[in-house]
Amino acid sequence: MFFGFWIQALRRALSNILDQRLIHFISTGTITISFLFFGAFILVWVNINAWLLEMGQSLSMSVYLEDGIGEEERLRVEEALEGLSGAEVTDYISKDKAMEELREAFGPQAALLDGLERNPLPASFELVFKEVDVKDTDPEMIKARLESLPDVEEVQYSEQWIDRFEGILNFLRTAGVVVGGLLCLAVLFIITNTIKLTIYARRDEMEIFKLVGATDWFVKAPFLIEGALQGLMGGALALGFLFGLTTMFSLQPLVTYAIPFIDIVFLPVWAVLGLGALSVFLGLVGGLIAVGRFFNPVVG
Amino acid sequence: MIQLFNVTKQYGQNAALADINLRIRQGEFVFVTGPSGAGKSTLLRVVFGALKPTSGQVLVGGINLARISRYKLDIMRRKIGFVFQDFKLLDGKTVFQNVAVALQVTGERASIIRKKTHQTLRAVGLSQKEGYYPPELSGGEQQRIAIARAIINDPIILLADEPTGSLDPDITREIMLLFRTINLRGTTLVLATHSRELLSNTSQRTVYLKNGGIEREMEPQ
Repeated sequence: MFFGFWIQALRRALSNILDQRLIHFISTGTITISFLFFGAFILVWVNINAWLLEMGQSLSMSVYLEDGIGEEERLRVEEALEGLSGAEVTDYISKDKAMEELREAFGPQAALLDGLERNPLPASFELVFKEVDVKDTDPEMIKARLESLPDVEEVQYSEQWIDRFEGILNFLRTAGVVVGGLLCLAVLFIITNTIKLTIYARRDEMEIFKLVGATDWFVKAPFLIEGALQGLMGGALALGFLFGLTTMFSLQPLVTYAIPFIDIVFLPVWAVLGLGALSVFLGLVGGLIAVGRFFNPVVG
Repeated sequence: MIQLFNVTKQYGQNAALADINLRIRQGEFVFVTGPSGAGKSTLLRVVFGALKPTSGQVLVGGINLARISRYKLDIMRRKIGFVFQDFKLLDGKTVFQNVAVALQVTGERASIIRKKTHQTLRAVGLSQKEGYYPPELSGGEQQRIAIARAIINDPIILLADEPTGSLDPDITREIMLLFRTINLRGTTLVLATHSRELLSNTSQRTVYLKNGGIEREMEPQ
């Protein structure tokens, strides 16, 4: 009996959607676009956050050497760096290698570098402090200490980048909440109005249902299902598009876009489930608002 | 079966029903008549629970309509059929679907819905027209669909508001015969009409309304 009721309600909801297919197509499209924007915000936020977390787990530094130093001095600096607690030299980039990397980065414009009389780039060591809690370490102190070493010209560290990205992340979070809130309201508005139109189109049928003894729930249930289905369809389509876009961008090396360090990942399970649940929830609420506001005047 | 105690229905300053006291016994066939605006339709709607009286009590099958929940009223309506002058059919649904809807709302199984709908359509003489749409049928046939829908749940009461108002005399006779058959099966029937012709051919109990009040009653002969 219980399942029979909901199956019948689902059947009537699908029939409502088919009968009003144009309106539903337009509103589902609009809902999809709204969720696409919202999902994109979350996707960008999740990716930057993941990258920052990864970066935050280790403090990396580039130690630039003075120009013209010999092999002996270089080894002495390396020894000094290895002697630092928790430090590991991950790479040595010679002057030639640095130039080679610059040429690669310049691509077709690399010919510009041919005009240089001598290689101005310094050699450097890439240094990583493993398992260092970035928050409790003062990279400025390490930087100052390393710069006091003989033959070291300058030290740059990753947190300078992290600070900049954390700012972007905070902005994205705030913008996401504001934009997400507004988009949710828009979705609610669209669903409520679509169902309002269905209710008006079904006025006669609803009147007859009440006439032959239908309970309020019997009449209302299909509209709630309709709202939930519409929200779900919009949410699912948006997630599908986002997944497609993510896959497309992941396949194309992002070096082209000068962001070589970000390996784009799709939304985590919690975000997918969250967006799915939010879309159904908004659909149900939209349906409830519509039947709450327009049901009684119809049935009279 | 139906009892009205001092029922008044007021619309602003106008009383559609004024202090009505009426008792209709189980299995009775009662005509309610009077000029336009006398309160016939209001009376039927009050008995159906579609209108709440401004004052007074309405008891249907011993249940006080003012004291039951909306849900119970809905359930009760499955046992009260209602037939209108304008049929109130869904033009986009077939004859079968129009009738079956009254069983669908009760959550009845599909096989039983099919069986009972066929039976009821046969009883009103429409078994050959199940797949037709209402606009394809005559006025009399459309009213038969409405009657089939009203009786498919075996109602204890059937209310009919000017059911022959838009039908020609021959069809009216057919429809009245159908009502008599339904009444003979034990269904209490209350039929509102202003047709003098219909009343002149009947010996049933008749309640005359005027300005919302009962002017007089004629007992069955």
